[in-house]
Amino acid sequence: MFVEDVLTGAVRYGASVLYATQGELIAERSGIVNLGTEGSMLCGALAGFAVAAETGSALPGVFAGLIAGALLALVHAYVVINRGANQLAAGLAITFLGLGLTAAIGTSYVDRRIDGLGEAPIPLLSDIPLFGNFLFSHDLLTYGALLLAPLLWWFLFRTRWGLLLRATGEDPEVVHAYGHSPQKIRYLATVAGGALAGLGGAQLVLAFTLNWVENATAGRGFVALALVIFAAWKPLRAMLGAFVFGGAAALQLQLQARGIDVSSFVLEMVPYVLTLLVLAIASWRGGQQMPAGLKAVFDSGRAR
Amino acid sequence: MSTVAAPAPPVDSAPAGADLRKRVLDGVRRIAPIAVPLLLLMLLPALGINQQDALVRATPFILTGLAVAVPARAGLVNVGGEGQLFMGAAGAAAVAFTIDGSLPSIIGIALVMLGGAAGGVAWMAVAALLRLGAKVNEVIATLLLNYVALSLLAYLVFSVWRDPGAAGEAITPELDASLLLPTLGPTTLVNYGLFIAIGAVVLVWLLVDRSRWGFRASVVGGNPEAARRAGLPVNRTLIAALLVGGALAGLAGAIEVAGIETRLRTGIGFGFGYIGFLASWMVGHRPAWIVSAGLLLAGIAVYGDSLQIDHGLPAKTVYIVMAGVLLIVLSVRGGAGKRG
Repeated sequence: MFVEDVLTGAVRYGASVLYATQGELIAERSGIVNLGTEGSMLCGALAGFAVAAETGSALPGVFAGLIAGALLALVHAYVVINRGANQLAAGLAITFLGLGLTAAIGTSYVDRRIDGLGEAPIPLLSDIPLFGNFLFSHDLLTYGALLLAPLLWWFLFRTRWGLLLRATGEDPEVVHAYGHSPQKIRYLATVAGGALAGLGGAQLVLAFTLNWVENATAGRGFVALALVIFAAWKPLRAMLGAFVFGGAAALQLQLQARGIDVSSFVLEMVPYVLTLLVLAIASWRGGQQMPAGLKAVFDSGRAR
Repeated sequence: MSTVAAPAPPVDSAPAGADLRKRVLDGVRRIAPIAVPLLLLMLLPALGINQQDALVRATPFILTGLAVAVPARAGLVNVGGEGQLFMGAAGAAAVAFTIDGSLPSIIGIALVMLGGAAGGVAWMAVAALLRLGAKVNEVIATLLLNYVALSLLAYLVFSVWRDPGAAGEAITPELDASLLLPTLGPTTLVNYGLFIAIGAVVLVWLLVDRSRWGFRASVVGGNPEAARRAGLPVNRTLIAALLVGGALAGLAGAIEVAGIETRLRTGIGFGFGYIGFLASWMVGHRPAWIVSAGLLLAGIAVYGDSLQIDHGLPAKTVYIVMAGVLLIVLSVRGGAGKRG
């Protein structure tokens, strides 16, 4: 059924972006903007794919993706936190680094095949009409993406660590006064964000495309950046945003699969245009509570 | 930030020697942006990098670098050089296919270049509208528009201008010979686009570092609120800074079409916009220095091409080096930059 296929596709396609969005959200809550999220996704995707190809099993690939994404984010954290580099420029350089690394290492994996993370339908629940397919018959990582949003919400707004993280993004001085190191918290947040972006990349290749091509993520990390702003730094709204993006992409695939005559190039733009549109509407209506520490980052482009 | 003038140094009767030293240093500082690229150019062959290839490649990098530097002066971050270059290439092709061989070469080429600049401006106008109309941060707007532009370019090449004679490959027909940028000589690939780029550097330097507009832009970039209170036309300055950037990146696309590729194809100038971003940040958005950064990155890129040919490594491998250079520069400069 068309609607069901689109919804199922939205979840599976949106999951990779959702991981990256939540990762970026964590980093930004601590006051670090990471344009390297795209690079972390790429590294996670290649590491996941390569390990799955070498071991013949997708599960180790998941961990490899997580670690690869975290490692790249670690570079961003060091350059930005320890060296005081501009966050926007450093982030883009990090993405470039990820693009170069994965292009170089990935050539030998271009034609490889892998067994992806198989679908694991949840008994009984997956038989529910309409909802069964799009919520309860996915792979491990896609379920994880669905669970991540409420978990992250709970962490951010119901735990002491979450409060510390949010405070770091608002006013690091206060955190310092309470005897915590804002720098350490920012390190942890940035690296955790990269790990989630890496998971997103791994989800993309292990559960969705099942192949590796150069620049496999094609800007999903940057979409994540837009969705964080759309979501006003709230995990549950981020989930909504990611599934709107995923839905637009799934719609494109379904229309193509059904041979409906719309230029594929026009359809390719739809997810990006839609992301910009929802962001424009959200920004225009205002009312976004950007963490206070972030404003300076987004305004940091001025010449020196 | 730097709009607040530093307290004037105490006027003392410094010994004549100090004055002379200052003058010499000033002179060196002025010559350096010209001397460094020349030095770099002379060094390239020693590293096994073809000088002419590097010059050809540096041309778009210089222009996309300037496309970042001009908005940066007004405090704006343009990450959309990529998309503006694609649309500039499309604009140039659109003009070229319209006028074909109907005009004298020099006028035709000028119109093609204008078409490129217009394409870049049009694409940047979307980002400007999002930024000033809907308050979407320009980093996000320009980034996402790159992907839209990529699809739009593919659509134009595949569905609108596709050369029916070219089986398999998706390319447009060639431009009329009268519209191609001439090369500097019969044996070289270096074309007049290089002079367009260097001319643009001079003009942008005059605009940004020597004109009233440039000063106003830096005030707006430093503190928009203060600028608004002082009665400066803030929005107009921001829009102008963005659109000039778009025009420069668009021009890079036009030069790729009319100078190098002789036609439009989907992979045209891929990555050049991002490399321009690296170039501009490397030199702190100082227009005079962008030639040096562009040439350095071009040297690395040409080396990457030879890696691909000789060792089967993808050309993008050298992105690692480019990113590394910028990260080091940012790290070294980072601490000093905190004075802002």
